[in-house]
Amino acid sequence: MTDATANAPARTGLTAAALVGPATVVVALGVLGPLLLLAKYSVNKYDPYEFMISAFSPENYVQFFTDPFYLAAFWTTIRISILCTLVCIVLGFPLAYVLARTQSRFKNLMIIGVVVPLFVGNAVRAAGWMTLLGSRGFLSVSLENLGITSGSTEIMYSELAVILGIIAVNLPYMVLTLQSVIEGISRNLEEAAFSMGAGPWTMFRRVLWPMALPGVAAGTILTFILAMNAYATPVLLGGPEFHMMAPVIYDQFQLNNWPFSAAVAFILMASTLALTVAAGFATRQRFRA
Amino acid sequence: MARLELNALTKRYGDFHAARDVSLDVPEGEFLVLLGPSGCGKTTTLRMIAGFVEPTAGSISIGGNDVTRLPPWKRNTGLVFQNYALFPHMTVAENVAFGLEMRKMSKAETAEKVRGALDLVQLGHLADRYPRQMSGGQQQRVALARALVFRPDVLLLDEPLSNLDAKLRHEVRIEIRALQQRLGITAVMVTHDQEEALTMSDRLVVMSEGQVRQVGTQRELYETPASRFVAGFVGRSSFLEGELRDGRLVTSGGLAIEVSKPIHGPVTAALRPERIAVSAEPPAEGTNVFPGTVELVSYMGGLIDLHVRLSPSDLVVAQVSNQGGTLPAMGDRVFASLGTPAVFPASDPHARGH
Ligand SMILES: Nc1ncnc2c1ncn2[C@@H]1O[C@H](COP(=O)(O)OP(=O)(O)OP(=O)(O)O)[C@@H](O)[C@H]1O
Ligand SMILES: [Mg+2]
Repeated sequence: MTDATANAPARTGLTAAALVGPATVVVALGVLGPLLLLAKYSVNKYDPYEFMISAFSPENYVQFFTDPFYLAAFWTTIRISILCTLVCIVLGFPLAYVLARTQSRFKNLMIIGVVVPLFVGNAVRAAGWMTLLGSRGFLSVSLENLGITSGSTEIMYSELAVILGIIAVNLPYMVLTLQSVIEGISRNLEEAAFSMGAGPWTMFRRVLWPMALPGVAAGTILTFILAMNAYATPVLLGGPEFHMMAPVIYDQFQLNNWPFSAAVAFILMASTLALTVAAGFATRQRFRA
Repeated sequence: MARLELNALTKRYGDFHAARDVSLDVPEGEFLVLLGPSGCGKTTTLRMIAGFVEPTAGSISIGGNDVTRLPPWKRNTGLVFQNYALFPHMTVAENVAFGLEMRKMSKAETAEKVRGALDLVQLGHLADRYPRQMSGGQQQRVALARALVFRPDVLLLDEPLSNLDAKLRHEVRIEIRALQQRLGITAVMVTHDQEEALTMSDRLVVMSEGQVRQVGTQRELYETPASRFVAGFVGRSSFLEGELRDGRLVTSGGLAIEVSKPIHGPVTAALRPERIAVSAEPPAEGTNVFPGTVELVSYMGGLIDLHVRLSPSDLVVAQVSNQGGTLPAMGDRVFASLGTPAVFPASDPHARGH
């Protein structure tokens, strides 16, 4: 009896180690390994004949931050990611709320409706956007036929097309994250606020939003990371003149400039992380007060 | 603090009436309890008063103003839920202050009122706690303070005690009632706990199938139930079924029971358990005395329930007080004096009786 009690903590410790162990190994080999390799590559030097010369130089980073082309891609990526994430919050919250609160028999169908777009690959989806937004696409032809515009309207190969595309990809993630969080907030809390004299907007501001904040944070991080790393959408909808970070990395990789490509990847990763953390701090400050 | 009137309030879901023609007049300062079996429309009625369920027909007025079309946040009702519904991200004090903030009260006045309200429920020392750090009973008292602090016209409580254990339920029950009386607030409470209903209310409303079956004080409902349903629902009753013949109710088991007001056709007599006397010897006097056999003795301390079979088809439950000495045992031959029971038409449980 006493033996068992004495052994209990040690045994739980062992069990925990056994449970966490495999995941730790996978993370170490699958994530940290490539990351370290990437870090090393990013300070190597590029050589047209030897491709990569082992070194320890900041050259690639300096090149990135001094070249207007790359800087523009960098800022475009950040701008579009922030914009898309904000739009996802604004559009996603009401949608998630309706999904969470509906009494409809078709609730599951509605949720499937939100998820279905995720079954379609990004490239296929982009093709869909092309038929909708292209110069001979559905939107352009409709506007022309309705007499709203004369001549074709080209939305394809523009920043707007990329923004629409990314929002369409990311919105389901935001909606699903928020929906599960809102479902966990008792409807009685909203009713309590109403009964005490809070109108819908005040109720939202004082009760629903602060309580949904962890979900908003999770959804924001998810969609922001997805937007920062978007590849297919900017390439296919943005056209050759439009540049975001992920395609830049791939292009450099294609040119066999692994060191520079690694540096850009690192910059993308670090800025994503920094912005996510900064946003986290900002919201916490505001809602603590 | 105002009079509440419901006029023919009806809520239909498709063809189903969740509430049908509910008319109630609750004078200022009254504590009214809605009582009835599960699904009879109590919550629906309460939520219509609060403004969360839109009535299909009928009207609601509070303090003489028609509020039927007003949204919940313009009705000035205080609401207490079964699951407390305190805001988990706010402290106790912030929870209580919420209603005052909505009324744009000054900071100083708010703080004072919050302190007053928390003292009222004896939780002043826990003002800075979060709801999750409190017991269920404490949370429900905070919810009560939160609903009362802005002096609502009507306090609405939906089974406020059913998440609490028996002892706490008793304490909070007394507290709610005392506060309501002290503040003179009009209150409507929903419960399906009889004892709660009987001990807290000024008047009771018995509902079933979305309809009001009887309204009255505890005593009125207990002494003069309007129908067999009410006789069975408020307090306990044993029922004896039979035909009326020569002013007596004759059961299929052959008992002939004298009743106060003969009515025609198949009837049911309702007998309160404590009004049935049980003795080992035939009593010297008494109406409707029948011999029987004790079938079950259920011992409850001060009181004892005796199930006495009077005929193969007639069983009554008598409640006798425990005077010490020898207790009746199963199989004992006894005499049951039934007194003069109230009778109701047997055809419809909601039909009026005598
Ligand atoms: N939104 C709705 N749609 C359809 N039917 C409903 C709806 N809300 C309630 N009902 C029905 O109306 C009836 C009354 O419900 P209500 O919640 O008022 O009962 P209650 O008296 O409060 O019961 P309980 O004691 O179990 O809480 C029930 O039969 C319920 O199924
Ligand atoms: Mg109910």
